[in-house]
Amino acid sequence: MTALLVLKGIDTFYGPVQVHFGLGMEVRQGQIVCLLGGNASGKSTTMKIILGLLRPRAGSIFFEAHDLAALSTPQIIRAGIGSVPEARRLFSAMTVRENLLMGAFARSDRAEIARDLERMLELFPRVRQRLTSRAGTLSGGEQQMVAMARALMGRPKLICMDEPTMGLSPLFVDRVLELIQAVNKEGVTIFMVEQNASLALAIAHYAYVLQAGRIILQGEAKDLARDPRIRAAYLGGETEPAA
Amino acid sequence: MGSWLDYTINGLIIGNIYALVAVGLALIFGVSNLINFAQGSVYAVGAYIGWTCFTYLHTPLAVTALIVVVACAGLGVAIERIGLRPLAGAARIAPLLATIGISLVLDQLLQIVFTPDPRALTSPLPNWRISVGGGTIGALDLLIAATGIVSAAVLYGFLRFTKLGWAVRATAQDRDAARQMGVNTDAVNMTVFAIASALGGLSGLLVGMYFNHIDPAMGFQATLKGVVAQVIGGMGNVPGAIFGSLLLGLTESYGVAIFGSSYRNLFSFALLLLILVLRPNGLFASARSTPPEPMTGSFVTPNRPVRVPRWAIVAAVVIAAAVPLIPAIPYVLQVLTNAWLFAMLAISLTLVAGTLGQISLGHASLLLIGAYASALFALDSHWPVWASIPAAGIVTALLGTALIAPSFRLRSHYVSIATLGIGEIVGLVILNWESLTRGPMGVTNIPPLQVGNIELDNPRAAYWITLGILVLLAMMQTRLLRSHLGRIFRAIRDDDVAARAHGISLGRYKAIAFAFGGFAAGISGGIAAHQYSYINNETFTSTVSISALTMVILGGMGNVLGAILGAVALTALPEMFRGTAEYRMLIYGVALLLLVRFRPQGILGTT
Amino acid sequence: MTDLLECRAVTRRFGGVIAVKPIDLTLREGEFLSIIGPNGAGKTTLFNLISGHDVPDDGTIVLEGVAIAGRAPERIAAMGLARTFQHGRVFANMSVRDNILVGAHHRLRAVKPRLPGLGALAELAMALIRPPAVAAEEAALNHEVLEIAALFGDRLTPRLDQPAHSLSYANRRRVEIARALALRPRLLLLDEPTAGMNETETAEMQSIIGGLKARGQTILLIEHKLDLVMRLSDRVIAMDDGAKIAEGPPHTVRQSPAVIEAYLGHRAMGEAAL
Ligand SMILES: Nc1ncnc2c1ncn2[C@@H]1O[C@H](COP(=O)(O)OP(=O)(O)OP(=O)(O)O)[C@@H](O)[C@H]1O
Ligand SMILES: Nc1ncnc2c1ncn2[C@@H]1O[C@H](COP(=O)(O)OP(=O)(O)OP(=O)(O)O)[C@@H](O)[C@H]1O
Ligand SMILES: [Mg+2]
Ligand SMILES: [Mg+2]
Repeated sequence: MTALLVLKGIDTFYGPVQVHFGLGMEVRQGQIVCLLGGNASGKSTTMKIILGLLRPRAGSIFFEAHDLAALSTPQIIRAGIGSVPEARRLFSAMTVRENLLMGAFARSDRAEIARDLERMLELFPRVRQRLTSRAGTLSGGEQQMVAMARALMGRPKLICMDEPTMGLSPLFVDRVLELIQAVNKEGVTIFMVEQNASLALAIAHYAYVLQAGRIILQGEAKDLARDPRIRAAYLGGETEPAA
Repeated sequence: MGSWLDYTINGLIIGNIYALVAVGLALIFGVSNLINFAQGSVYAVGAYIGWTCFTYLHTPLAVTALIVVVACAGLGVAIERIGLRPLAGAARIAPLLATIGISLVLDQLLQIVFTPDPRALTSPLPNWRISVGGGTIGALDLLIAATGIVSAAVLYGFLRFTKLGWAVRATAQDRDAARQMGVNTDAVNMTVFAIASALGGLSGLLVGMYFNHIDPAMGFQATLKGVVAQVIGGMGNVPGAIFGSLLLGLTESYGVAIFGSSYRNLFSFALLLLILVLRPNGLFASARSTPPEPMTGSFVTPNRPVRVPRWAIVAAVVIAAAVPLIPAIPYVLQVLTNAWLFAMLAISLTLVAGTLGQISLGHASLLLIGAYASALFALDSHWPVWASIPAAGIVTALLGTALIAPSFRLRSHYVSIATLGIGEIVGLVILNWESLTRGPMGVTNIPPLQVGNIELDNPRAAYWITLGILVLLAMMQTRLLRSHLGRIFRAIRDDDVAARAHGISLGRYKAIAFAFGGFAAGISGGIAAHQYSYINNETFTSTVSISALTMVILGGMGNVLGAILGAVALTALPEMFRGTAEYRMLIYGVALLLLVRFRPQGILGTT
Repeated sequence: MTDLLECRAVTRRFGGVIAVKPIDLTLREGEFLSIIGPNGAGKTTLFNLISGHDVPDDGTIVLEGVAIAGRAPERIAAMGLARTFQHGRVFANMSVRDNILVGAHHRLRAVKPRLPGLGALAELAMALIRPPAVAAEEAALNHEVLEIAALFGDRLTPRLDQPAHSLSYANRRRVEIARALALRPRLLLLDEPTAGMNETETAEMQSIIGGLKARGQTILLIEHKLDLVMRLSDRVIAMDDGAKIAEGPPHTVRQSPAVIEAYLGHRAMGEAAL
């Protein structure tokens, strides 16, 4: 299997505060890869640098043959990466339908877009009921579903998800996890950040554990699921820089 | 009966004119959640480009219009590049302040290049007119109406139904998320600014031709009217902007018919306040909706205020107090006295805008109230000056708070608009309430500062008194900020919904802050009245409000010392260049732009 | 035990959607009641109605014998109701300490003299003069802040003087709960307090909430993490589509077919059986 996304030697800063220390990882084609880590360990920041929303001070990021450091966010999206941002970030004043279609912004195949929209509504019947509502009025969980569907609408090769199950009720957590697996079976590579280690490891192929901006553990998900150090990593507590 | 028809037609025509500006404003607000205060300036620039073309190049109307459209579109692109794009990560209010800066710069440049004198912009259109009722409609009226309606329809369709239109709205709501959908947000914003500015320039040309009159001040008035029209129709709502404009035109026209033409603007601003209080989201908005919860992960620019040690403050006060002892030229004392007066206004504004988070754009009206109150107490009620000035402070606190109180439930941009409206209303009431205020003549022969029989009419005494009062006010405010009230004000600023959830009544605490701020500003106005000995309704205009805001931002929002520092810097520095008023405002505009861009937290940091 | 909160036929419509269908709810003094339900069931909307952030279209809400539907949130807070928000609403630019102090707002006495009509003016004067009684009150509250922060182990105490925006997501949630506690609420409403926390942090939060319960705090909780709900609740209400679909002791509700169908799914049931 070839590596689709490769990060090497990444150092990231917010002003004077360093968040990543020589971060390196790989996401292989066709896999579900998850990044675990406690609060404030730098998970969301990893997403931001992959999507070009924040530039690392050192290191390289390659997606297929693209050097992501040289591309702007819209170009990165067009290269085939989809995103489910942390806290969803829906367009709150636009309707749910418009939000979904925004997901297909980089595409121009109208008929296929319409078909994908229909497919999303089948996956998320609840979303169908609220199709013409403004996205800002949806409940937390409904918004999460729309955000997922919106990312899928772009037909990306790789989807980056930041805590896709946050705030979802158990049934929807299951549904989302099943969906992630289903999407993955269709050949889409998934890179996700999760707090809920046991759930994430249940569906992932490979996992990295981030602590205080460093990868401290990595391996096949089924091995990690049994690893006592996984729990230790979570018990390591928070590593907030003193402001 | 016939004359009512005339007033109606006239109102609709004027409304149409407002619509041209309002549509551009609505478009930009719809895209970037920004009230583009530079829109009126672009409109004035358009008018002047047209005038230049007609006068020097003798181009026909179509060619002139094309030149105006292209040039103003380019200007729009520049505004986006300077005023919006670099501020993407900054606070919501930053781009608004940047456009205020740009508008100052453009207006002053027009004055410098074309002189403040008005010019005639004669319409080259054929002079036929159809008579309707008692009035007539000409070719130009129809052209203006058609431009407004067609552009609004096209824009509405563009935003609702095209992919680029969606991209535009998505960018407005969440720029980062839009980029994560593959939208090139910079290109989107630039397109919108180009379109809106082209429209603005074109409307300036048409309106200039309509009145056969252009002047560099026309921009600010146009922005004001456009904003009022937009608030009526609902911010960012393009068809609403047109409706609001027509309603505004009609209201003014009928108001003028009943009360006379000096009441025209009073009516528009009264309508503005009425709408803000009764239907803050515009006439078409749905009645009640709960404000959405803020999303997680939002960060504010981390900034730590500079800690100025106590001894440094004491030293600065001592030095300031010693200035009159060195044989300096009286001119320096005069400039510094003025700076202390401005500093009182600035600490008042920094409390309201910085600590409480209610950006007031009409703060100069508090100076006016204070100045008139003290002057009239002294002249008409024969109060001694030492009593009339504190009384003016109290009157300003009460009146200012009462005027703003109905708008207490508004938030962010709407507060700014409301204060802008109130500021204009205060000036207009003073102008029109002749029996009390002597109207346009102003108040003359105001007695100088004096205590008992001791005249303090010399620069040194005035300097010390002003400085002393400033130090007193600043100490009181600092004490206030350290009390539970400071905490409550900041809580309201950061999240008023959460503040209410913990038992904080917004009305009560906003009133306390505005009253305290009003007192300081009223005192400042009162002292100024006795120093100037003559005041009228234009002694303190909206440019003073904007200057004060610049000072406050320069010092660091909410920062008492910062506000004083900002006032001194911005009063004293332009004096060193001894420039005329145009250059001074130009400097303010540039300073505001640079600050917002490079040091939004100001010199001493926000608190 | 008496009823602290009583909702009768409370309803809220948004356009075509009925977010809360006529719903009844009672809560006794000292009771721990949880509301569960799938996303969009109307849980947060119900909270908003109770806390005054939203107004019901129909029905009555009675808190300690006083009808509060339609009252402003600040007045309801003053009656002793505190809440947290689903997505967290800390005062980002204020220190953790000040955040918690704001929570104690309605307990301020010395600085708010009771003067009819002139209350605000008197409060301003007190703030400026700061007589000994006022200073003592502030000092007492500051002391109390330390106690409340200590409930959260060493998560908040070392960060009391940091601005809230510099905290991690989980810590910001903790600040919100601390702030609500500073109100000394008669009734505490918690909306998904453990969202975005990992398993360890959730367990920690569970023991904190358990501690509150042990002190006799009346709590109304919305939570998706079933484990926590099962362990802490005296009673559970399950909602779906704006309506109550089950109510009773935790284990009964969990076994209810309607709840399994709408909320838990069969996999979770399978796990629970283990
Ligand atoms: N815009 C920002 N400015 C300054 N510091 C930031 C910013 N965003 C994040 N940080 C800090 O960087 C660190 C890593 O944050 P990040 O959001 O990547 O953590 P995370 O692992 O996603 O945590 P969580 O589980 O809470 O989402 C934290 O200490 C956070 O406080
Ligand atoms: N202001 C509003 N306008 C329109 N619809 C709304 C509004 N607020 C909530 N709704 C709708 O009411 C329903 C209930 O929402 P609510 O937020 O109460 O759900 P919830 O049970 O808290 O869900 P979650 O667990 O996902 O947070 C949802 O379908 C939501 O879309
Ligand atoms: Mg994160
Ligand atoms: Mg909810």
